Amino acid sequence: MTNNKLTVSHAPFWHDGDSLFQMNLNIMIATLPAVIFGIIQFGAPAFGVLALSLSSAMVWELIMNVISKKKISIGDLDSAVIGLIFGMMLPATSPWWLVVTGTFVAVIIGKMIFGGIGANPFNPALVGMAFLMLSWKVFFDFDAAYVNYEFDFTALAPLAALKFQGAYEVAGVFPMSDLIMGKQVGAIGSTFGLGLIIGGIYLILRGYIRWEIPVSFIVGIIVTALAFSMANPDTYAGPVIHLFSGYTLIGAFFLATENSSSPVNRIPMLIYGFSAAVMIILMRNIGAYADGTVLAILLLNVVNPLIDIIRPKALGKGVNNA
Amino acid sequence: MIKRSFFTLTKPRLSYDLVEPDPKESEPIPIPSNLTLLLNEPIDNTRQALIKKGDAVEKGEKLRLYNQSTEYTISPVAGTISAIDTYSDDFGSTSTYLVIKSNQGQTTQTNSITYDLKDDIASADEYFRTLPGAPPLKILASDDVKINTIVITCSDMDLLSTTNQYITLKFLDEIKEGAKVLKKITHVPKLCIMVPESLNVQGKFDSIQVFKTSMEYPSNLPAMILKDHLSMILPAGKAPEDMGVSFISAEAVVSLANAYKTKSAGFEKILTVIGKQGTQYRIKATIGTPLRKIFNAFNIHINEQDRIVIGGPMKGFATYTPHHPVQPDMDTVMIQDRDIIPELSDNPCVNCGNCIRICPANVPVNILVRYLEADQYEEAADKYDLESCIECGLCAYTCTARIPLYQYIRLGKHELFKLRALETAND
Ligand code: SF4
Ligand code: SF4
Repeated sequence: MTNNKLTVSHAPFWHDGDSLFQMNLNIMIATLPAVIFGIIQFGAPAFGVLALSLSSAMVWELIMNVISKKKISIGDLDSAVIGLIFGMMLPATSPWWLVVTGTFVAVIIGKMIFGGIGANPFNPALVGMAFLMLSWKVFFDFDAAYVNYEFDFTALAPLAALKFQGAYEVAGVFPMSDLIMGKQVGAIGSTFGLGLIIGGIYLILRGYIRWEIPVSFIVGIIVTALAFSMANPDTYAGPVIHLFSGYTLIGAFFLATENSSSPVNRIPMLIYGFSAAVMIILMRNIGAYADGTVLAILLLNVVNPLIDIIRPKALGKGVNNA
Repeated sequence: MIKRSFFTLTKPRLSYDLVEPDPKESEPIPIPSNLTLLLNEPIDNTRQALIKKGDAVEKGEKLRLYNQSTEYTISPVAGTISAIDTYSDDFGSTSTYLVIKSNQGQTTQTNSITYDLKDDIASADEYFRTLPGAPPLKILASDDVKINTIVITCSDMDLLSTTNQYITLKFLDEIKEGAKVLKKITHVPKLCIMVPESLNVQGKFDSIQVFKTSMEYPSNLPAMILKDHLSMILPAGKAPEDMGVSFISAEAVVSLANAYKTKSAGFEKILTVIGKQGTQYRIKATIGTPLRKIFNAFNIHINEQDRIVIGGPMKGFATYTPHHPVQPDMDTVMIQDRDIIPELSDNPCVNCGNCIRICPANVPVNILVRYLEADQYEEAADKYDLESCIECGLCAYTCTARIPLYQYIRLGKHELFKLRALETAND
C-alpha cells in the first residue's frame, strides 16, 4: 500500500459526465427524424448523398490530422456532424464530386485552417454551402433537381415559386399541413418541418443547444414576414411559408446554433437569432436570393464577436465599497 | 458522482449534503506512533533552527523553526522529533514537515501543557492557530486588517461534506460558549452564524444573527454569503478579510471554547471519510495521524491509480500519498476509485456556453480560458474578470470539452499574483 501510485490531479474531482462525443452524438440523433424522412421521400440517392457527405467530412479531417501531425480528432464526431448537416442541405440528386468538394471546403477551410474544433468563426457547413452555391448555382435549383421524381404533392420548390410568382399566385398552393409534414420539394433534410422541430426541441431540452437562438430566430421570421405581408399581401407571403420551407428550420435549430460561431450570452443570443431571421426575410423579399438562410447566418457569424461582448457585469467588478 | 440529468434545460443543480438526523458518535482512531505536522515556513539552512531531530517534545508544546518565525505548530503528543524535512504543495511552494515519534501509549492520556492564557486575541493567537477547525486567529489578531464581522460556519463549504453540520448538532452548547469567547477576545461588533436552512437546530442563539443558507451549491462560499446575507459585493481580487469579515468554522469555535476552559490545546479533529461506494464514516483522529491509519481502521483499500481527495469534490485537492496527515482544517476525505475518475482532455473550448450559464460570478470563462492558455494573465484579469472568480469549480464540472478550467483559473491567479508582486518590487 505504501508504494501505490495514486492519481493526482486538480479540483473539481467530479464532472457531469458530458463530452464532445456525447454532444455531437445527440445532435446526430436529433437530426434523425428529418434525415429518415428525407431518405424515404427522396430514396436511395438521398441516402447516398448523406453517407458520402458524413464520411467524406470525417476523412478530410483525418487527412488534415495526418498532414499536420496532430492527434487524430475525428473521434469527437464534430466533422461527422458537419458532414451530416451539410448533406441534409443538399438536393438528393447532387453528384458525388459536388458533395466531396463541399465537405472539403466545409471541413478544411471552414474548420481546420482556423485551428480545428472550437476555433471556427463561421459555421463550417455553411462555408461549404456558400462555396457550392456561388460556384455551381444550378445544382441548387430544386425544381430542376427533382424533374425525374414523381411526387404526390406540388412539385415546386416553395420559396422559388414565391420569389418568381409572388404571394398572390402561390397562395393556397402550399398548405401549411403539407409543408410541415414534408410534402414539399427541397433539400434532403430540410423539408420535414415537424421532424426538425422535434429534433430541435430534443436538443434544447437536453441542453445541447441554447434555446435563446432558435426561439428568437423563429420569432424573427414570424415578425418580419408578417410585417412585410401586412404592408403588401400580394407580393409578400405570410410567415407560414417562410417558416416551413427552404432552410429556415434547419437553420433555426441546427445551423444558427453551431457553438463556435454563435454567442453564449443571453442578450447577444437573442439579438443574433432575431437578426439572422430578419436578414433572411429581407433577402427573400427584397434581395436576389430565393432562400438566403446560408448567407444570412454567415453574416451573423461575422458580427457574432461584436454582439457577444454584451454580457452581465462580473461579481465585484467596478465596486468601490472596499 | 452527480451526473448530468437527462434533461438539462435549466442549469444543473448541485446540492449540499445534509447531515443525517441524530448522527452517531464519531469513531475514535488510536493515536499512531508517528505523527506528521506541517509547518507553513520553508527550511532555511543558513539559520540556526530552534528544533532539531532527536529533540524531546511535550504534548501541547509550541514548535517553531527559528527565533523570528511567526509560524508555529503544536505537538499533539509527547515524544521526540524524528524527522524535519521539506514539503512542496500544489503550486510548488515549499514548507516544512515534522515527524513526531510518540512515546505515550495509544490509550494513556497524557495531559497537555497548560498555557498562561489572557482574554485577548493576541494570546489566543499565541497558542491556538492549529486547534481542530483551524480558527483564523492570525487574521483576527493582525493589525493590518480590521475585522468587524465574524461569521461562524455551521454549513459546510463543499459538496458531500457534513462535518460542520455534525458538530453543530452535537456540540451546540460549546458553539454558544465559543461564540462568547470569540466576542470577549476579539470585541467584534457583529457576530453571525450560518446554518443550512434544512438543518434542524434546536434552541436559539442570543445576540447572534442567524443566516439560513440555501442547500444549493455554491451558496455557502464566502463570496456568496457576503452577497446574499451581508449585502456586500466582494470586489474582484479581494478576500472577505479586506471587507472586515472573517469566517470561522463551527469546529474551530468548539475547539476555542474547550481550549479556554482547560487553558490547553485540543488535538482531536473530526472528519468525514467517504469511501469508494459513498459510505460515510465519521471519525475522530489526532492531528498528524497519517490517513493510511484511518483507511486501515475501516478496511478501505487504496489501489493503484485511485484518488484520495482532501476536502470536497469541487474544491479539494488530491494527495499523492496515503501518508498525508490529518490537519486542523481537514473536514472531508474522499476516496475515488480509479474507474470513476473523470477523464480530462486537451480539447480547446468549443464555446458551448455551459460555463457561462453556470458561473455564479458571471465570469466569461469561455474567453478567459483562451487568455489563460496563452499565459496572458494581466489581460485576463483586466478584461476577462479572472479575479471575480469565487473558485467554486462549477465551470470545470460542466465543461463539455472537459477542459481543466478551474485549474487554469487557480494557476492564472497564482501567476498574476506573482507578476504583481514583481511589479511592486520593481517600482
Ligand atoms: S470556478 Fe468557474 S464557475 Fe466558479 S466562479 Fe470561478 S469561473 Fe465561475
Ligand atoms: S464549458 Fe468549456 S467548452 Fe463550453 S464554453 Fe465553457 S470553456 Fe468552452
